[in-house]
Order: sequence, then C-alpha cells, then structure tokens
Amino acid sequence: MPIYFNDREIVLPGQLLSDDSRRAGEGTYVMDGKVYAATVGAATIRDGKVEVITFRGPYKPAAGDMIIGVVSDIKPIGVEVDLGGHVTALLKVKNVKELASLDLKVGDVVYARVSSSGLKGVLLELNEQFKKINEGVLLRMTPTKIPRLIGKRGSMINMLKKITGCNIMVGTNGFVIVNGPSPAKEFAAISAIRLIEREAHSQGLTDKVMAYLSKLVGGEVSHDTGDKA
Amino acid sequence: MTQVIKPKLIDENGIRLDGRGPTDLRPLRIEVSVLEKSDGSAYVELGKTKVYAAVYGPKEAHPKHLAIPDRAILNCRYHMTSFSTDERKILGMTRREIELSKVIREALESVVFLEEFPRSAIDVFVEVVQADGGTRTAGLTAASLALADAGIPMRELIAAVAVGKVDGTIILDPSDIEDKYGEADMPIGVAPESNTIVLLQLNGKMTKDEFRRGLELARVGIQKIYQAQREALRRKYGASTTEV
Amino acid sequence: MSFLPLKERSFTIKIMSEKIYKLLQQGKRIDERSPYEFRKITMQTNVVEKANGSALVSVGSTRILTGIKVELGTPYSDRPNEGVFSVNAELLPLASKSFEPGPPDERGIELARVVDRCIREGKAIDLEKLCIIPGKMVYVLYIDIYVLDYDGNYFDPSVMSAMAALATCTIPKYSATGERVEGENIKVPIRDVPLSATLGIIRDRLLVDPCLVEEESLDTSIVVCLDSASNVVAIQKNSPGHIPFSLMESIINVAEEQISKIRAQFKEVVGIG
Repeated sequence: MPIYFNDREIVLPGQLLSDDSRRAGEGTYVMDGKVYAATVGAATIRDGKVEVITFRGPYKPAAGDMIIGVVSDIKPIGVEVDLGGHVTALLKVKNVKELASLDLKVGDVVYARVSSSGLKGVLLELNEQFKKINEGVLLRMTPTKIPRLIGKRGSMINMLKKITGCNIMVGTNGFVIVNGPSPAKEFAAISAIRLIEREAHSQGLTDKVMAYLSKLVGGEVSHDTGDKA
Repeated sequence: MTQVIKPKLIDENGIRLDGRGPTDLRPLRIEVSVLEKSDGSAYVELGKTKVYAAVYGPKEAHPKHLAIPDRAILNCRYHMTSFSTDERKILGMTRREIELSKVIREALESVVFLEEFPRSAIDVFVEVVQADGGTRTAGLTAASLALADAGIPMRELIAAVAVGKVDGTIILDPSDIEDKYGEADMPIGVAPESNTIVLLQLNGKMTKDEFRRGLELARVGIQKIYQAQREALRRKYGASTTEV
Repeated sequence: MSFLPLKERSFTIKIMSEKIYKLLQQGKRIDERSPYEFRKITMQTNVVEKANGSALVSVGSTRILTGIKVELGTPYSDRPNEGVFSVNAELLPLASKSFEPGPPDERGIELARVVDRCIREGKAIDLEKLCIIPGKMVYVLYIDIYVLDYDGNYFDPSVMSAMAALATCTIPKYSATGERVEGENIKVPIRDVPLSATLGIIRDRLLVDPCLVEEESLDTSIVVCLDSASNVVAIQKNSPGHIPFSLMESIINVAEEQISKIRAQFKEVVGIG
C-alpha cells in the first residue's frame, strides 16, 4: 500500500499521506478512503498507523495522564482545576469534610492523575499521587512537546534534573514546575526546557541539551551521564 | 460635491497604474507565528495591504449556554485600524466589518474539524493594519494559516484572492484604486486541495464570459498564494526539524 | 513558550507570586532581568503608509502600533489659536486572551487618557503652529493606539509609539487663508518628548517594566511620565494596592533613570528626544 511521505517529513493540512484508510492514526483524517494530514507536523508510521506528530496544539485529556493544574474554583462537589486548555477538570470529593482536609484555595497548583475524560468532562483522582505544589516556577509549554521533554523512559528529564539539581515536575497538559536550590540553577533548567521546546523535533537533541547545560552550569555540577565531552 | 475624475487604470500596453500586467499579483509576504501571546498567528502583506490574524483556543465557550454539545463554536472578527484606509475609519465595528467577519468565519468553518472540540470555542481575529484592496482575502489567507499554526485540525488551508474588472479588462488582485474606480471586484476563497470555493462575493457587473474568465484567473492567483502559504509554514516548522 | 500567565484568569497563582518576590529579594527576576532593567526595546517608524505618522514599538513581546490621521476641523472655542489632538487606544483581542472584542473598556480608556495627559501636560506639541485660521480652521490629529501583542506593560511602549509617530508625522500644508499648498507638507511641531516608565511594587521592593506574569503578582503599579527636563508631567497608579510613602522618592528616581535610557534610544531612532 503506497505511502506518500518520507519518514519525519513535514506535512501540512490536506496533504495526502496514504491510500489505506485503515492506517489512519493521530493527526490525520480520512476522506474517500484516503488518509490526509489534519495538522502541521512530522509524518511518521507508528505501530502500522500513519501519524502526524503535531508541532503545536491543544491538550487532549486522556485517562491516566498526570497533569499539573491551577485551582480555579471550589465547589461543594469538589475542586475545579484549570488545565490551561479548553477543558476544566474536576476533582470530586465525597463530602465537605474531605474538601476541607484538602486545604486548597483558588490559585493553588496541584498535581493529579486524570481518572476519566469524556462526555462527563475531565475527572481527577484523589489518590496517593495527588499533591498540592507549594513552591516552584510554573511554566507552560505546548502539550505536544511534553513527550520530548520527558524523553525515552524519562532520559531527557532525568538528565535535566541531574545536571541542574532542580526538582522538575511535568504535566501532560503542558504545565511544568521547576524548583531548584538556587535561581541560577532554576534559570539553567528553564532555558534548557525552552531549548527543548524550540527544537523538539531535531535530531540529537539530548546531546545538544547536555552541551548547552554544561556550558550554563559549568563545572558547578558533576554528572555521570557517561559522556565526558 | 467635488467632481471625481476617474483615472485611467490600464494603459494601451495593458500596464496597470502600479506597473503590473493584468494577471500579476502584488509582491506577497507571508509569515506564521508572528504574535507571541496567541495560540497561532500569521501576517500577510500583499503590496500595501497588511493584515495580521491570531487564533485563541480551543477554549471553554463563554457564556456556557452558548456552547454546542457536539462541536466547537468558531468566532471571527475582521477589524480595521482607524488609519488603515485613506479616510480615517470610525472606531468600532462598521456594517462592512460585521459582514466580512461573517463570510470569513463561514469560509473557515468549512475546513476546521470543529467536532473535535465539543462545547468549546475557537476565536479568530483578523486585524487590517493597512487596506489597499483585497483585505478580506488576505485576512482569510492569514486566518487559515493562524489556525494551522495553532495546531487546530483542519481539512486543508484556504487560499484567497480577489479578481476585478477595470477599463473592461479582467485583472488579478485589484488594488484599492482599481477597486474604487473599476467595474467589478470579486473576492474568492478556495480550498485548493479539494478544489472548492469557500468564499465568493461579487460587487459590480460582469458578463457571464468575464465572470468565467475571472474565476479562471483567480485560480492562477490562488495557486501562487497557496504556494507561498506552504512555504511560510515549512520555513517556520522546517527549521526546527533540520539535522543538527 | 512562556511562563504561565494568568491572562485569562482573575486570580493569582500563589507559588508564582512567592517566587517572584523571593527572587526580587535577591535582586533577580523570573526572566533573568535585574529589577531596574527594561526588556529589549525596538522602535520602527513610518510602518503604515496611509497614516500621516506611524510607529511600531515593542518592549519584549509587548507590541504597540500607533497611527496618526490628520484632518481639518475647528478649534475649541476657548482655544481658538490651537490645533486639536485626540488619543484613542484599543486593546485588540488578538493581543491577549484577556482582551475582549468590543468598544474600549476601562483599561483601554485609561491607557488613552494617560497617553493624552503625557502629551498634553508634557507640552509635546506646539499646538499654536497647528492653527490655520484662528477660530475657524485647525489641524486635528487623531492619535490611535493599538495593542497588537500583550506581555505586560502597555503604557510605556504606547507613549513611545505615540511620540515616535508624532515626531515623524507629515501633514499637508495649508496657507493662512486656508488654501491647500499643493505638493507641500509640514512636520508636526514637536516641543518636547515626554516618556514614561512603569514600576511595579511588591511589598517593599520595586521593579520596572513588569512582564505579564509579574504584573499579575504585583501588589500595585505606577506609571510615571517625565518631560525632557525631568519634570513630572503625568502619573497614574494603575492598579489596586498600597504604595508606602517611603517608596515614592525611589520611584521617581528610578523612573528618571529608566526614562533617560529610553530617551537616548528614542533620540537615536527618531532623531529628536
């Protein structure tokens, strides 16, 4: 079955990608049995599906996502959490006592797991992963680039944490918390995150980020990434 | 009333006032991601016509009772700055701006997958900084790029251009003076991949044959604009994928 | 893309306010500036050919476009020998999620009035030279300000762009009898260049040119406008909150220092200042 693009080629909305409608994946649509790109992005094949990895775009909540959000309202049934997009999530509580025990106010930042997303809206889970964040810089990046910030099995984010000595929390919705031992280290982490966002789709990004950070943080922090360049 | 003398718009050699031939487009400049704070944006300059477009969303529809259960609402505002025209434009929305907002919105609605974002709203703002003819088509061209820049799923881009009739000749991309003194102005918005028309207006008088030739000429202009749109997107996003 | 700004919300993110204050105590800011440091300023004039004067000014990502249209009109009856100007400002919805389409709201009107006072009280224009026939015919200048992109502090770039547009504004020449002198133009007569600096206040600390995320964490803020002799020609405390009396002296001094730097750049780009 023909494919009309090279791997990682930049495609534009309306561009024909494949003749096989069964292969339509994320970021594509089917018309008259053919697969077309629905967004600007890099086209690729993943698990047999034709996909467009979108460069920039809205957050689409899914069950299991770990999000960072801002409390936007407190209601008797629970806490409304702004995820920065077109949906506000709800953290349901059993009763007023539970609500009070959370000690949340409008403007507080929380980290939580999405338990479901659908017609009933986005629901957050009050489990052991849930926490209120008390300190740090809140950043926003385009949600489509969050996987790159995390890296394969957390490789990118772990390197960032190690070199900068900052605690970094990442929300699938595009919010990131950076909290470090000194402003200089926080600034280093923040500018590295910006670099990742800017060049999310370039090859050899990990090395580039590492070189960038080594220059910024200098000999201040040693890191055993195996790369002594 | 002062008497207005209509200038000669095309000379005996078929050359227009600004030196163009009948089928020439004005110099075109397109850029995407030009405004920092919006979710997507674009700038289109066609001769002296200068237009920005910005997209916000999808976001929660406000007030909530306006939300549609199975798709997003698309809002569009086409607006001109007070100094964009020869005569100072009054502040606030004119009837013309309200009408153009509607036809631009409807053109965009025909390509955006609104059903992907139930109960939400997508706002599109077109701001004309300088108007020298073809502002709605430049605005629509920019708006479709701003939507693509925002990562909003869409069937395809929209490229738009106007054709006109001056001194009996069918011309591409009329300037303000050609529009003002010409016999007809016909803005067209096209979805180039599916080869369909998504915006079409005509102001003036054409014979059926002139109308046919106008449509044909518009398609030539659309191809050039569509090419420039694609180049602008690739320039913006291609840079971030080059090998290090 | 950016720090999380609350542009569309009406509440403050607490950890951000705390971080911003904590950094400020160490003489630092969230975007790595020092407390008394403006973001990068760029100025471009004559950007809209159809306007008599225009300027595009950016301070960081905040971008302001001002255009001036000149018409003929009648003077105010109590000032028969003076030309007329009016300032309007629009916070375009394309500039920020927090700007709504529609007629200027109180923020837009405040911006226009602050710029107006700056120009009027700063005696920026020699209005008598804009009179054609006393009591009958004068030039009327419409100074229209548009916020195109908003990342905090629209006051200072608005004053800069209004002044840059005025200083480069060309108007058709009319004789003392009210006849158009064909082919001849005059410049708007500029007497002074008032400029402004916006300061943010958090508890006992000051900063200049707040970006959006800082703006949302400030206790309050103040716009100070000075003429070229450093006279204070307009002031606006433009948000709720307290300013300790003890800070006022520093506020004026910091504003003066900042404005002199902006003035040097203005002079370089526009030619006067």
